[in-house]
Amino acid sequence: MNAVAHGANRRTAIRLGLVALAMFSFGYVLAPFYDVLCRAIGLDRARPEFATAIPTALRLEFDTNVADGLPVTIETLDRVVAAKAGGLVKARFRIANTGDQPLTIRAIPSFAPVRAAGLLQKLECFCFDALKLAPHETRDVTVVLLVAKALPEELGAATLSYTLQPA
Amino acid sequence: MTASTETLHLQHADHQAHADAHGWRRWLYATNHKDIGTLYLWFSFSMFMLGGTMALGIRAELFQPGLQFWHPEFFNQLTTLHGIIMVFGAIMPAFTGLANWMLPLMLGAPDMAFARMNNWSFWLLPPAAALLVISLFVPGGAPAGGWTLYPPLSIQAGMGMDLAIFAIHLLGLSSIMGSINIVTTVLNMRAPGMTLLKMPMFAWTSLVTAYLLIAVAPVLAGAVTMLLTDRHFGTHFFKAAGGGDPVLFQHIFWFFGHPEVYIMALPAFGIVSQILPTFARKPLFGYVSMVYAVCSIAILSFMVWAHHMFAVGLPATAQLFFMFMTMLIAVPTGVKVFNWIATMWQGEMTFETPMLFAIGFVCLFTVGGFSGLVLSIAPIDIQMTDTYYVVAHFHYVLVAGALFSLFGATYYWLPKWTGQMYNEKLGKLHFWWSMIWFNVTFFPMHFLGLAGMPRRIPDYPLQFTDFNSVASVGAFCFGLGQLLFLYNVINTIRGGAGRAPARPWEGAHTLEWEVASPAPHHTWEMPPDEALVKKGLRAQLLDQDHE
Repeated sequence: MNAVAHGANRRTAIRLGLVALAMFSFGYVLAPFYDVLCRAIGLDRARPEFATAIPTALRLEFDTNVADGLPVTIETLDRVVAAKAGGLVKARFRIANTGDQPLTIRAIPSFAPVRAAGLLQKLECFCFDALKLAPHETRDVTVVLLVAKALPEELGAATLSYTLQPA
Repeated sequence: MTASTETLHLQHADHQAHADAHGWRRWLYATNHKDIGTLYLWFSFSMFMLGGTMALGIRAELFQPGLQFWHPEFFNQLTTLHGIIMVFGAIMPAFTGLANWMLPLMLGAPDMAFARMNNWSFWLLPPAAALLVISLFVPGGAPAGGWTLYPPLSIQAGMGMDLAIFAIHLLGLSSIMGSINIVTTVLNMRAPGMTLLKMPMFAWTSLVTAYLLIAVAPVLAGAVTMLLTDRHFGTHFFKAAGGGDPVLFQHIFWFFGHPEVYIMALPAFGIVSQILPTFARKPLFGYVSMVYAVCSIAILSFMVWAHHMFAVGLPATAQLFFMFMTMLIAVPTGVKVFNWIATMWQGEMTFETPMLFAIGFVCLFTVGGFSGLVLSIAPIDIQMTDTYYVVAHFHYVLVAGALFSLFGATYYWLPKWTGQMYNEKLGKLHFWWSMIWFNVTFFPMHFLGLAGMPRRIPDYPLQFTDFNSVASVGAFCFGLGQLLFLYNVINTIRGGAGRAPARPWEGAHTLEWEVASPAPHHTWEMPPDEALVKKGLRAQLLDQDHE
């Protein structure tokens, strides 16, 4: 290898070595600047102003299901409701017995996410009691919920689901 | 001119003196790129055997629920060491070894740029491996907190962790020096007429990989140094008790760790891009797009690290950013897979062992890529984090990806290295054996992960028994099959299936096939003349100006 090529190789190697050294310090630089960086681009959830922020509305979605083979239909009259912190929410459903026999059914409620359950207090629900339906009867039922005074910022939406089962 | 000819002669005499060193001196004092490449390859194979034995220890314990063989602490040491040894001891040195052996031959350079530094890069590896093995026998045993060395476990662990930290320092130093050598060789020592965009793809992927290593190996070295000072010198980088942040370690580690994934994948891409055109007897489809794909994968790899940390609790904005950046990597990777398939399309394909491994690579790496895409979706990843689904995913990309490409490369270049042909029947048996048992081992792990089986546990609930038994049987068969490979390589060195011509594959047009088989100790002392370079480029359809 001639002297010119040798010099070029040396220069390349020194430059690359400097990059390696710089990257070694980069890890250390992250230690103090990681928090600063997160705060600067607004990615820090631990910021105090986020902790106290009270979002005003929670989006409530209602979902309904019927157990297999049950001759009943259920229709959600208010599919999506905006729930205000501390307010009351009323949602209506229309249940119909499509069969020729009288039926006794019960609605099984569930929540997603589960922690939404603690924020919504059921004052009245058609799921509290079994329902007796005459043949071909249609009936409107309701759910009334009291919304908690403080809603967590990241919750955003909650789904309430009711599944009709034979009682 | 006279002066330079004279120097050449002098150097030649000097080289002859090196070649004359015999016995252990030839290897300990090695400065020849071929000798050093051979050392790297044998070292990585022995580490593969060591790490593989540990894997069999893991699979033996997991064959049935309950504790049969090991204490849980030792089981965790096995999983940790298996990871560290396979990543840093087996896969990475194997690619460096291939780069050492093949780059000067493929580029028309007389040797690597820094022959003595090259020697040091290699000889740092055995002490590092020794430190890792010794750590098994010190009080407290080897590190057992997983290969990612997360604090607080890595801060609380015994002195085995210190040995592992020093081992990682040595491995990192070796990688950085090896990479400086590769970059310098590729940038400064190519034959006249071979511009950057006319290089073989393996040279391109080695170059980009070396850049990645220079950028991230020091970051890992920094992270483990911080661990070391946290452990012994009163710093509090990661100690929550002193105001430090354990999550910071994860950020720094994965800033290294994700590019590391591509450090183990890109050279495999390069190898497959050499093998497929040879046996399809067609030039590589979309050469320039391949180069751009490699470069964009490398750049993107620096912007996705936190997808390893979705379950840690990132703000939604950060989760979305890292999720979308990760999904974006599917685009250049898709370009590569498309180009490989298009290379084979309407080619006159034959299925010698290297080709089988290359096609196996394309199929199974794509499966691993898809499970990676599934994991890139933050809400799914939070569910899948630390389950066997992740284990299945990274073994598809690392075993069927990196390792299969290494087997392919070995069969492909073995005639050049040894001057003999390997036994084709045994090679094909090795491929099909590996292909079948690999899938028997790792495919059930997808189901286990989806069903919720966590990784790094020595015992598990009864419902996971069947798939675990299947995986263990697969692992033992896969492991035993690798002895076939060892036998085939040794047999080839001893004569194999007869003498190999300089160009054993008629579809191969890169420069390494222009020298005799076995490659003489010194090659391209005078750079190949431009006509020879041009001839090869024309055969690969790389002679037009596309820069």
